[in-house]
Amino acid sequence: MLLPLGWIFVASLKGEGGWSIDGYVQVFSETAFLKAIWNTLIISFWVGVIAVLIGSLLAWLVTRTDLPLKRTIRALVMASFVTPPFLGAFAWTLLAGPNAGLLNKIYRSVTGSEEALFNIFSMGGLIFVMALYSFPYVFSMIANVCELISSDLEDAANILGANKLKIALTVTLPLTAPALLGGFILAFLHSLSLFGAPAILGLPASIHTVTTQIWALFQYPPRLDLAAAFSVPLLLATMLLIALQKKILGRRGYSTVGGKGGERRLLHLGIFRIPVFVLVLAILSLSVFLPYWILLKAALAKAWAQPLTWDNLTLENFRFAFFQYGDTQDAILNTFKLGILTATVGTMIAALIAYITNRQLLWGARYLSFFALAPLVVPGIVLAVGLFIAYTRPPFVLYGTIWILFIAYLTKEMPIGFSQAETTFKSIHPELEDASRILGANRLQVLKDVTAPLARTGLIATWCFIFIGVIRELSASILLFTPKSKVVSVVIFDLKEEGQIGVIAVLGMLLLLVSFLVILAVQWAAGREVLATRE
Amino acid sequence: MATVALKRLTKRFSETAAVEDLNLEIGDGEFVSLLGPSGCGKTTTLRLIAGFLQPEEGEIQVNQQVISSPSLLVPPERRNMSMIFQSYAVWPHMTVFQNVAYGLKFQKLSRIESEKKVERLLQLVHLEALRERYPSELSGGQQQRVALARALVVEPQILLLDEPLSNLDANLREEMRFEIRRLHEEFRITTIYVTHDQAEAMVTSDRIAVMYQGKVVQVGTAQEIFERPKTAFVAEFIGKTNILKGKWEEGSQVMLGEGLLVLVAATESRKRGAEVSVCLRPHNISLTGSASEAEQWRQKGYNLFAGVIQRRIYFGDAFDYLVELPVNHLTLRVVASPSQRYDLGKKVFALAHPDHCVPVGES
Repeated sequence: MLLPLGWIFVASLKGEGGWSIDGYVQVFSETAFLKAIWNTLIISFWVGVIAVLIGSLLAWLVTRTDLPLKRTIRALVMASFVTPPFLGAFAWTLLAGPNAGLLNKIYRSVTGSEEALFNIFSMGGLIFVMALYSFPYVFSMIANVCELISSDLEDAANILGANKLKIALTVTLPLTAPALLGGFILAFLHSLSLFGAPAILGLPASIHTVTTQIWALFQYPPRLDLAAAFSVPLLLATMLLIALQKKILGRRGYSTVGGKGGERRLLHLGIFRIPVFVLVLAILSLSVFLPYWILLKAALAKAWAQPLTWDNLTLENFRFAFFQYGDTQDAILNTFKLGILTATVGTMIAALIAYITNRQLLWGARYLSFFALAPLVVPGIVLAVGLFIAYTRPPFVLYGTIWILFIAYLTKEMPIGFSQAETTFKSIHPELEDASRILGANRLQVLKDVTAPLARTGLIATWCFIFIGVIRELSASILLFTPKSKVVSVVIFDLKEEGQIGVIAVLGMLLLLVSFLVILAVQWAAGREVLATRE
Repeated sequence: MATVALKRLTKRFSETAAVEDLNLEIGDGEFVSLLGPSGCGKTTTLRLIAGFLQPEEGEIQVNQQVISSPSLLVPPERRNMSMIFQSYAVWPHMTVFQNVAYGLKFQKLSRIESEKKVERLLQLVHLEALRERYPSELSGGQQQRVALARALVVEPQILLLDEPLSNLDANLREEMRFEIRRLHEEFRITTIYVTHDQAEAMVTSDRIAVMYQGKVVQVGTAQEIFERPKTAFVAEFIGKTNILKGKWEEGSQVMLGEGLLVLVAATESRKRGAEVSVCLRPHNISLTGSASEAEQWRQKGYNLFAGVIQRRIYFGDAFDYLVELPVNHLTLRVVASPSQRYDLGKKVFALAHPDHCVPVGES
C-alpha cells in the first residue's frame, strides 16, 4: 500500500524532462480538469444531502415507528446496498434514457408530448442514481443510533413540558446530529470515489468527474503523470473527510449513554401508517424494484424495449452471454477466482491482525490495526493508479496478470474485513479463553476449543463481505485489467460501449444472484448459531 | 494440599503500580478473601496467582515452590488451579455437560471415569437435569453453578474466584454465598476469593485480607477486622462506623477537642500528641435522656458524650440517630432500639464502653 502511494507522488512530480510540478500546474489550470473537480464536488454534495434525507427518514421509520413489514424494508435497503452502483446506473439508462427510456416512453404515450420527462444523462440524473445507492450507508449509521436512544431520554423532555415537535427538535435531533453529519460525509465520500455510475451516466453528456477524468487520462495516449497529479487532491480530500468524520463520531459517546436497559417505544403512525408505507416502497422501488425488473426484462427479451410477450421471450441472451461472447467465460472465472482467493486470504490476514491487536499479543499491535484500516482513505481508482505505476516496472512486474487485481482487492477490502473480524473478536470475552487456559489447555488448544468455534460465524461473515466487495469492484479494475485478466464488472462496462444490453443484464443478474446467495448463506449460518447458543 | 505465599509482589501497568509490595500467606485448605474497593488491585493479584500476569518484583510460591517471579512464569495450564470469573466465562458453544467435562480432557481418565465425575459434580450443584442445555438457555445463577462445577471437577489444588457473584441479583447472591461456603466445607480446597462486598467475604471466608491501593492493609478473621480495625479505611470499609479524629494522651486516652477525652481500648501505646482516630460503631453506643443515669455509667468507666438529637430515621427494627456534640461540630451516629424514642432537639447522653472505642491510624 505504501509503495503504490509513494509512486503516485513520485510520478505526479516527474515530467518528461525531470522533476517538476508541471503536472500539478496543468491539472489546476486547465478548465476541463477544474470543471471535473467542480462537478465532483457539486454531485457529491447533493448526493450527500439526498442520501441523508432518504437514509435517515427510512432509518427512523424502521426503528422508531410501527411501520408495517419492517424486516422486508430492511432487506430491501440491504438489496440497494448490495447492488453495484454501475449496475443500477445502467438499469436507469434503460428506464430513463431520453429516447428509448421506458419511463419516458410511457410518459409520451400518456401525454402525447414529444419531450422526454427524464433525462438520466445529466447532472440531475447522476445525482439521483448515485444517491439511490449511497443512502444505505446513511441508513445503517442512523438506524444504529436510533436503536441506542432510549425512550426515557425523550420522556424526560416530555415530562418537563416539551411537546412531540419540541422533543424531536431538542432531544432526538441533537442526539442523532453527529450520526447525520457522519452519514453525510460517508455518502459524500462514497460518491467521490465512485467511477461506474458517473462514467455510464455522465460521459454521454460530457460530464466529467475526477474519477472519470483519471480514467480518461489512462486511455490512449496515457498521461500517467497527469493521472497521478490528479489523484493527489482526491486522496487528500478523502483523508481530510475521514479524519473529520472520525472527529465528529468520536465525540458521539453521549448518544449511546443510556443505550443499555432503556426500552424504546414505537411511535404510532395512525392513519398515516399505510401512506407512509407506500412512500417507503416508492423510494425503494427506485433503487430496487424498477432497476431489477428492467434488468430481468432486458435479460429475457429479444428486444428489451418491447413489451415482454411470448414472442419477445428468449433465452438467447443467456446462451450468448455464457457460451458465445468471447470474454465472458474467462471474466466470470476470473471474478470468482479472485473473489474466493481474496476473501480467503483477506479473512485470514484480517483475523490474524484483529486477534493480535485485540488480545495485544505483540508490542505495537495498535500500529498494525492502523495499517489494516489505512486503505479506507484511498479511493479505488487512486489505489489503481498507484498500483499501476508501481507494478509495471521492476522489481515487481505484475501488470497483465490477475495478481495486480488481487493486490488491489486485498488492499481495498482490508479495512472492511478487519473491522468485521475485530468486532468478532471483541465479542469474545477474554475470560472465555482464560477459563480454558486455567483448566489445562495451552494456547493452541484454547484457539482450537474456544476461540475458533466462537469466531466462526463472524469470520464467515467477513469472508462474505470481502467476496461481495470483490465481485462488484469496478473503479480499480477498470485501470488494472488487461485483455487477459478481465473481470465481470469490466466486461459489463465494455459491453455498454457495444450496446449489448441483453448480455449486460444477464451478467448483472448473475452478480446480484451470487451476492444474494452469499448473504443468505451468512444469515443461515448466523441463524443456526443463534439457535444453538442464542446471544 | 497447597499453601500459597505471596512475597513482596509488585505489578505495574504503564508505571502505575496496581499491586505494590504485597505480602500474604495462605494456609492449606484455607479460604481467604481479598476484599477492597474497585481499583485496589485485588483482581490483578488474583490474575498474578493464576499466571495470566507476570510480576515485576517479588514471587509467588505454592508449597514452597516458586511458580511466579520476574524471571519465571509457570503457565496457567500447569498450575493445577481453577478459576471462576466475573463473567462466568461459560462457553456458549458447549452444553452444560461439555462445559463441565472440558477440564477432564487434559487428565488421563477413562471415559466412564470422567463421566462419573461430571455427573457427581452436576448433582452437587443441582444441575443434573440441565446437562444437555446450552448456557444461553440457563439463568445467571445456573450459569454460575456450571462455572463452579467446571472449576471443581478437575479437583484443583487451588481455587480462585474473581467476584463471582457480582452479576447476580441480590437474593441469588445471598443464596450463592452459602453455596460457595458449603462447597468449600465439602472439598477443603485452598481458596482465594476476590470481592468488594464485605458480607460476601464474611460469609465465605476463614480470613479476610483487606486491600487498599495495591497493598494488604489488614489480614484477620471477620471478627478481628470488624472489631479491631487497624486503620480508618478498614473500619469504614467494613460496616458503618463513626470516625472521630483526635490526639493521643497518656493512659490510653484520646483528646477529641476542648474537654472531650475518650478512654480507648488498650492496644499498642503511641506518642503523646500523635494524630489518631477513634472508631466507634453506631450499635455500640447507647443513649439515655437522664443525667443521673448517665453519671452512674460514667462511674463504671464508660465514656460519656452529651449532645443534641439532630436527625432521626426510623428503620422498623431500629432508630438511626445523629447526635450533635458541642465540641468541634462533631456528630455521632447511634443505632438504638425502637423503644428508645427521642425527639429532635432533645438533649441526650451517649455512652460507649472503652473496649468499643478502637484507636485507628490513618491509612
